[in-house]
Amino acid sequence: MALTSFYFLLFALAVTVVYFVLPKKIRWVALLAASYAFYLISSPKTLVFMVFTTIVTFLGGLYIGKKNKKHKAYLAKHGQELSRDQKKALKASVQKKKRRMVFLVLLLNFGVLAMVKYFRYYIEALGFADLSFDLGVLIPLGISFYTFQSVAYIIDLYRNKFDADRNIFKFALFLSFFPLLIQGPISRYDQLAGQLYEGHSFSYRNLTFGAQLILWGFFKKLVIADRAGIFVSAVFDNYTEYEGLYIIIALLLYSVQIYGDFSGGIDISRGVAQILGIELTNNFERPYFSDSISEFWRRWHITLGNWCRDYIFYPISLSKGFGKVGKALRKVLGDRLGKLFPVIVAQLATFLVIGIWHGAEFKYVAYGLYNGGIIILGMIFAPLLDWLVKILRINTKAFSWRLFQIGRTFFLIVIGRIFPKAASFGVAITMLKSMAAFNPGIITEGGIFTHGLSIYDFAILGLCCVIWFCVSLMQENGWRIREALERQNMLFRWGIFLMAFAAILVFGIYGPGYDAAAFIYRGF
Amino acid sequence: MKETVLEILKGVRSDVDFAGTDKKLIDDNVLESLDIVAIVGEFNDEFDIEISVEDLTPENFNSVDAMVELIKNAQA
Repeated sequence: MALTSFYFLLFALAVTVVYFVLPKKIRWVALLAASYAFYLISSPKTLVFMVFTTIVTFLGGLYIGKKNKKHKAYLAKHGQELSRDQKKALKASVQKKKRRMVFLVLLLNFGVLAMVKYFRYYIEALGFADLSFDLGVLIPLGISFYTFQSVAYIIDLYRNKFDADRNIFKFALFLSFFPLLIQGPISRYDQLAGQLYEGHSFSYRNLTFGAQLILWGFFKKLVIADRAGIFVSAVFDNYTEYEGLYIIIALLLYSVQIYGDFSGGIDISRGVAQILGIELTNNFERPYFSDSISEFWRRWHITLGNWCRDYIFYPISLSKGFGKVGKALRKVLGDRLGKLFPVIVAQLATFLVIGIWHGAEFKYVAYGLYNGGIIILGMIFAPLLDWLVKILRINTKAFSWRLFQIGRTFFLIVIGRIFPKAASFGVAITMLKSMAAFNPGIITEGGIFTHGLSIYDFAILGLCCVIWFCVSLMQENGWRIREALERQNMLFRWGIFLMAFAAILVFGIYGPGYDAAAFIYRGF
Repeated sequence: MKETVLEILKGVRSDVDFAGTDKKLIDDNVLESLDIVAIVGEFNDEFDIEISVEDLTPENFNSVDAMVELIKNAQA
């Protein structure tokens, strides 16, 4: 069931009605039933994988939670009698037991993920491509998202951030909450679970704010992303027939498409949740305004970035092992680079995971390394860049400098996206090479308007992107759009909503049978 | 101790006025993960403590006072 389908809206409406009709105490049961029903409708054959992850994580969590409680109780009783070293030794022994359980849960959860998401690729890579069954259809809905949520839960428990959940049904809801299943955001237990279990009161404000967010999501997905996607597909599906400006424009439009697609979907999910009184973490903070690649990754798919930061980047960069190697390297490479060593290793690991998270093929690894590589080079050559800025007397506080930085970052992001989008790494390289062709005639002579998008489509796309850009600029400057609209007169307010609604109906791209194109991130 | 902490912070991010800012250093995105790793490394070396991954919560790094408190707890 696609988030932009009519059925999903009906489904969400039915869930909302049932949710608010039921007594507050059991409203979470309605969410659990709805989430499992959603899963059964969308991906019935693969429900077993989610149930498996739920049970394994829940039981592992109970074990770790018990160890935490026992340790705390012992310290409360005997803490005064123990020396600092004894306390340390006790903590180390408890940590060791907990760590074993964390490894087991991680092994099982990531094992399932690797099996179902990457198995097919491994088989092909090993030369058994003629297997008569297709595992691709069996990729469970939302597996990357709920697996990452479950891993965060178990590691946070290990870190003693909260108590273990003692109700398996409630925990099952945390991993399966239906607005999150298609493409996240990857939510944390301490941020989401309490909200899911608590019965929320109906609020007219939440209803209108949620509906507006859904409308905005539909606009970005159906009017912008799916329209841009037509041209993108035309070029990428027949890449040998295109060169020069065609590829450059396709890449630019792909950056528009993927942002509209992914952030639009997240807005719909957040809107549905908001109507129910549940606040989901935001996944995007106007990423194209970033002035560096590392800032981009703090603003794009924020929940994946934060996950990688907390469970990969910090543990590696602060690990004693890499710290020691870094110290030893200080003598060889100098103080600065020696100190940077653990950070570089952590950064590489983080971007490898981000790459592989999208898929098993080498093109995704290349995508991760491309982004990580730029950040690492930036770190290594930071003194040189600072020196250049000084020598060239660049005023880094000037608006023009920030504009340059934003433009440079956007350019690097747009180019890098060729790796995940192209059919393979080899195709990406071929396309990059053929970008060099000089063919401005496709615009002046109108050739560009004959590949799926007419001149009117380009005009609509351009206009809608301008609207989106203006909204983003206002948000960037601290405007809260929905709050601002709330203060306007009813006539004006409803005028805007109706215009947006009409724009989606008239200008939305509806595929064959009026089924919106599937979300790109659903495949991840 | 606060003086030393301020000096370390200045060394990592010379563009931030740590003593004067009202901003929450993590929640308001003043410090990023690379800064945190550098700061923790300096704290560990300077105060001979072990700040671990578990301590890397926004509350512990949102203000200079919170960082001082974190160091004191690690020394206890």
